[in-house]
Amino acid sequence: MRRFWILKYLLIVSILLIVSNISEAAKGDKEAGKKIYERRCAWCHGWNGAGDGPAADFLNPRPRDFTSGIYKYKTSNLDNPFPYEDDLYKMIAEGMPGTSMPFWKDVLSSNDIWNLIAYIKSLAGLEGEPAAKINYGKQVSSSADSIKKGKELFIDRCSECHGDEGKGDAMKKLKDDWVGNRLWPRNLTKPWMFRAGSDPKDIYSRISTGISGTPMPAFDDPASKKKLTEEDKWHVVNYVTSIKNEARRIKDGDTVIKAKRLTGDMPKDANDEKWKDVESTAYPLVGQIIAKERFFTPSVEEITLKAVYNDKEIAFLLEWDDRTKSIPGDAKAQELADGELNEDAVAIQLPVTIPEGMEKPYFGMGDSGHPVNVWQWKSGTAKAEQSIKVMDATGFKNIKARDKADVTAKGEYNKGTWKVMMKRPLKTDNKDDIQFEEGKFTPIAFATWDGTNGEKGSKHTITTWYWILLKPPTGSMVFIWPIFVAGIVLGAEILIARSAQKK
Amino acid sequence: MKITSLSLGALGALVVYIALRLSKGFALASIADVYILFMIAALLIYIPAGDKGKKGSLLVLGTLIFFILLELVRPLIPRSLLNVYNFFILVTVLLYFTSKDEGARDLMAPIKATLVGSENRTFRTALFAVVPLFAALITFNIVRPSYEAPGDTRSIHPAPPSSVNVFNKSYNLLTLKNPLRDDAANYAKYVKEGGEVYFKNCFYCHGDKLDGKGHYYHGVNPKPLPFMGTDTIAQLSESFVFWRVATGGPGLPKEGAPWLSAMPIWEHFLTEEEVWKVSMFIYDYSGNKPRTF
Repeated sequence: MRRFWILKYLLIVSILLIVSNISEAAKGDKEAGKKIYERRCAWCHGWNGAGDGPAADFLNPRPRDFTSGIYKYKTSNLDNPFPYEDDLYKMIAEGMPGTSMPFWKDVLSSNDIWNLIAYIKSLAGLEGEPAAKINYGKQVSSSADSIKKGKELFIDRCSECHGDEGKGDAMKKLKDDWVGNRLWPRNLTKPWMFRAGSDPKDIYSRISTGISGTPMPAFDDPASKKKLTEEDKWHVVNYVTSIKNEARRIKDGDTVIKAKRLTGDMPKDANDEKWKDVESTAYPLVGQIIAKERFFTPSVEEITLKAVYNDKEIAFLLEWDDRTKSIPGDAKAQELADGELNEDAVAIQLPVTIPEGMEKPYFGMGDSGHPVNVWQWKSGTAKAEQSIKVMDATGFKNIKARDKADVTAKGEYNKGTWKVMMKRPLKTDNKDDIQFEEGKFTPIAFATWDGTNGEKGSKHTITTWYWILLKPPTGSMVFIWPIFVAGIVLGAEILIARSAQKK
Repeated sequence: MKITSLSLGALGALVVYIALRLSKGFALASIADVYILFMIAALLIYIPAGDKGKKGSLLVLGTLIFFILLELVRPLIPRSLLNVYNFFILVTVLLYFTSKDEGARDLMAPIKATLVGSENRTFRTALFAVVPLFAALITFNIVRPSYEAPGDTRSIHPAPPSSVNVFNKSYNLLTLKNPLRDDAANYAKYVKEGGEVYFKNCFYCHGDKLDGKGHYYHGVNPKPLPFMGTDTIAQLSESFVFWRVATGGPGLPKEGAPWLSAMPIWEHFLTEEEVWKVSMFIYDYSGNKPRTF
């Protein structure tokens, strides 16, 4: 009897759930949605929904134009060009990683969101729901075999834009269907940047119906020679999820680059085996928005660092994903750039004096009382080699390049990634140079320039101050103390047991 | 072996206590964690003792209930203070249970039984091995070098100067008022224009939702100030906001760590009127009012 009672209860609950879902789908009130839209959304998406709000010019990607009726992300099938309301709900409630679309579920109730959806759909005259979902078939779980098949399909179908290793670095100039904005293929090794989710099912959806308004094609398209079967799509999904590069993910609170002490020689170059087992740290890069000329739309969003030192020198390995190798004068590179093509570049900023207290130089090129050293490497042009420059700065407007650099640097570009190694003696006899000291927390900051993205001079990305620590080798006392304590405890135990047994 | 509900309760309390500590980033790295070591050892002895271990289980349970209650107190009690409290709780509970001879005997009997006698030899050996290993682990966690970055003791709302020179003028911050607020007829217009200023200049750090989490939030330190809620701009007069916006990060006094803030010097980019308008917008959108006293 009791079991039946549970069944009954489950039945009632599921009916209630279904009913509430049905009523919810129809619940959206366009007029109420308009009010929320004008308070929350219009600033980016525009007062008429055309994606032209006051913030639009400062954003990359630009805010969506709702009047066009084109939606990039949806789970409806190819015959249904419009998304489900659930798709829109997810977008609004959860936000879109890698864009400035925040998640709204903390300030908007689900009722608010349904109302918004009703209003947004009305902007393009959309009504009703799509007739059919993408066919997800039977999910193929990930295995070495499936990944291998997926890789072959990927190289054949996807690498044309996404590059051989999926970093979105293939040499093609892509535009969107709205106003011809420049588009870059997604870097698939950073799934946390995927706009509409990185679950296998999300990736499967993108492959199936493509991304409307962009050159990403639908691999469900029966007319296409590149059509993929359901099973094939799952193989590609498994390959894509397998190339995730966890080292590039930014971990909050990870603010110290720990330079490893080497006993022998320093690494020869960026690809030296010696770098392999060195701990890496990843930091976010943002546009330089503090001093004129400011820069709002960077293409590089993260830099990964490693450092090693021995008793004479210190070396940094700077790695960042950049879709283009920008070499001015190179015809192919020129073709990819929108305007003027500049060199790619990267820079390290260090204080001249390691601060003892809290006070540091101003993080944007120092200040009059606190000079900084800037080591800037540039990728070179068709006519000139790569270069390294050391600058002394006491503020944005007070930067002096030295004639001679005591830093050496060499960069290598491979399939969407720059790797640059910079090296300097730990100590120099120049009073304007920083003198590195083992065990001391030293502020350090970074900047990058993507020459194909119009970055030059003050238009570039920056980081805030982080720390570099020349990590002293761990002494043997760290192991001796625990053994010593364990010995004492064991001795005490035996004494107690002895005395108890004697009684 | 008979397991009593009391001993199960004590075991459950230990699990809850360890879970609570874990949720706060506990890593067996302080001398105070020796308590946990004692509790584990005590339970290992008292639980198998069945009815004879009742008193011991009660002691562990009683102590842990106090420990858990202290962990749940809000606002959080600093760990160093908690360690002192825990010490006194343990001593008090022990005194309570051993105040009579018979109580002390009840507590000691299972311990003696474990230490003496050949039938407990395997268990005894295991206990004697585990306890020093735990002690070694705790010691290692204490002496292991830490590479935690130096902390920042920056003041979020440092005291403003009495006057400030911006826009080629000198302003007395003690008497300065937002002149646009007198023009009540145009309030809505100013707020909307302030919104435009905000969404061209401020939102990439301070956020679309004015929650301090714009898309550049991760790249700057200190984190951008949120305007929602009642603990930021609601606590400030509008002249303070004017000063902070107009002179930006570099205009902070030393206790505000001007070398870190990514706040631009807005007098270089905005007009005086735009600063007042954006101030009206952030107060209006967040439902706050400037402090006027």
